[in-house]
Amino acid sequence: MSAPAANIPAANATHLPAASATRANCALYAGIAGLAATVIGLAVSGNVHAVAMSYLVGISYWTTIAIGMLMLVLIHHIFDAGWSVVIRRQFEHGLAAFKWLFVLFLPLVATAFIGGGDTVWPWMNPAHELLHGHGTVATDILYQKKGAFLNVPMFVGATLVFFAVWIWLSARLRKASFAQDTDGSAKWTTMNRKTAAFGIPMNALALTFAAIFWMKSLEYHWFSTMFGVWYFANCIRAALAFGVFIMVWLTARGDYRGILNKNHWHCIGTLGHAFVIFWAYVTFSQYFLIWNANVPEETFWYNLREHGDWYYIGMLILFGHFFVPFLYLLSFRRKSTASGLLPISIWIAGIILVDLCYNILPALKDAHGDPLPFFSLNLLWVAASVIGVGGICVWAYLRSFATSGAKLIPVRDPRITESLTYHE
Amino acid sequence: MSAQPYGLIATFDTAAAIYHAAETVRDAGYKKWDCITPCPVHGLDGAMGVKRSLVPRISLAGGITGFCTGMLMIWWTGAWNYKLIVGGKPLFSPMFAFPISYELTILFTAFATIGGMFLLNNLPMHYHPVLKYDHITRGLDDQFFVVIEAADMKFDAKATRALLEKAGGKNITELEH
Repeated sequence: MSAPAANIPAANATHLPAASATRANCALYAGIAGLAATVIGLAVSGNVHAVAMSYLVGISYWTTIAIGMLMLVLIHHIFDAGWSVVIRRQFEHGLAAFKWLFVLFLPLVATAFIGGGDTVWPWMNPAHELLHGHGTVATDILYQKKGAFLNVPMFVGATLVFFAVWIWLSARLRKASFAQDTDGSAKWTTMNRKTAAFGIPMNALALTFAAIFWMKSLEYHWFSTMFGVWYFANCIRAALAFGVFIMVWLTARGDYRGILNKNHWHCIGTLGHAFVIFWAYVTFSQYFLIWNANVPEETFWYNLREHGDWYYIGMLILFGHFFVPFLYLLSFRRKSTASGLLPISIWIAGIILVDLCYNILPALKDAHGDPLPFFSLNLLWVAASVIGVGGICVWAYLRSFATSGAKLIPVRDPRITESLTYHE
Repeated sequence: MSAQPYGLIATFDTAAAIYHAAETVRDAGYKKWDCITPCPVHGLDGAMGVKRSLVPRISLAGGITGFCTGMLMIWWTGAWNYKLIVGGKPLFSPMFAFPISYELTILFTAFATIGGMFLLNNLPMHYHPVLKYDHITRGLDDQFFVVIEAADMKFDAKATRALLEKAGGKNITELEH
């Protein structure tokens, strides 16, 4: 029988702005350093393609987390969920990263207009030579048939639309939720529920087409109807892993003392477990259908990923992205405690980065058309990009956390008492 | 009526009362006893000292059995009993055995869960001595009961009655078998 809302000083207390500001500055400096390292990489590495693709991995990784957080908030509202009210506010702070992700994505959009245009996406340059003397992109029948969709204006326009959708939905959700802290009006809950009703399909379409344009089109001969769903599964898993990080951090700092109980941990752990299975289901289905149908336009994508050390990365994903978290989270004790969830969330957050590398980086080829190995200098640029974009995203989260004026938890949400005393 | 009663039943009016009574009975060291409540009382399992159920272990065993059955079945039919090449694929591969193994994992897990639950709860049970108690239907409506069985090692007609009284139980009644 937990204490009611009024008895929890942390919920109504103002944050420690000084401490958060220092932390935010650290994140900002780390982000700038990482971005600077990426720029240096462009200058010194001698392989602009590799650095640009590594940057695509970095920005995709953090966009994945933000999309997942957006989806979790939307799902929370559409189901009128109770348990997640006390955690939702932290996801709303996380949504502050979208506008910075947009700014950070602009250099990749710019590559379409620099040089031949094929720094990252080969199909952007009609003169791009295909392998083994098969002509150019412009003479490729498989490109010509897809040209109405895969072209630079479509790409630029779609990318702008994706970010517009994410930034706009985030702004609506944040505004309504933060305003409710002040006036406690139920109209904000209604507004968020409506946002969720149209926001879920909008976000689903945006993330699916983002995955298609940004990642799948790197090998435009290839196609898989599972790709968007695979990306969605990673989005939710990444957001849940980072949700656990935030819960652990705020519990350690004392903010969540008396707010979280075992059942909140159990819920986020169970949801994470469900999405382990969902991820495995779609990822296996994609592999299985391609393996079974044996169509060359599809199988080459996996053949590339059995070349060199990518084979072992594929095995790492199979066991590390599915079997390890699946078996680990079967245990009730491990999925219902902070100490049980933290290690597996760190592991999942790391393996999602590997999964994105696996889907993006083999598009980098050597002169023979074989993918460049996973363990190479490119990993350095991936790390620089992940730290660079991540620093900015963490800074955006912490800045929103400290300066948005929103309380630690939505103190006047209609379901706040239900959430605080969840299953107690 | 047999010489030895089935046990003692005590009535409580509120969820809080039965919660604390359960703690008292638990701390007195009783093992064969139970609470009857008209609604779920959060935290009552902790107050009763009930350990985690064994059902998840049985479910896991069922799941593993199902997975292995699927793999073995596909291997046996395709690579042993009637060798047939389909679509240029190997006679056996875990790839095409996976969907059926996955389905059987779920099916056997479900069977094991239901079966394990029935087994551990001694179900089906068509009769229970508390059903003879006149006011037991109130346990579906607005009252809470604690039942301590005479089969418990610590059971003593007087001492147990005194314990239930101390815990705030009312209408303490002997139950027939």
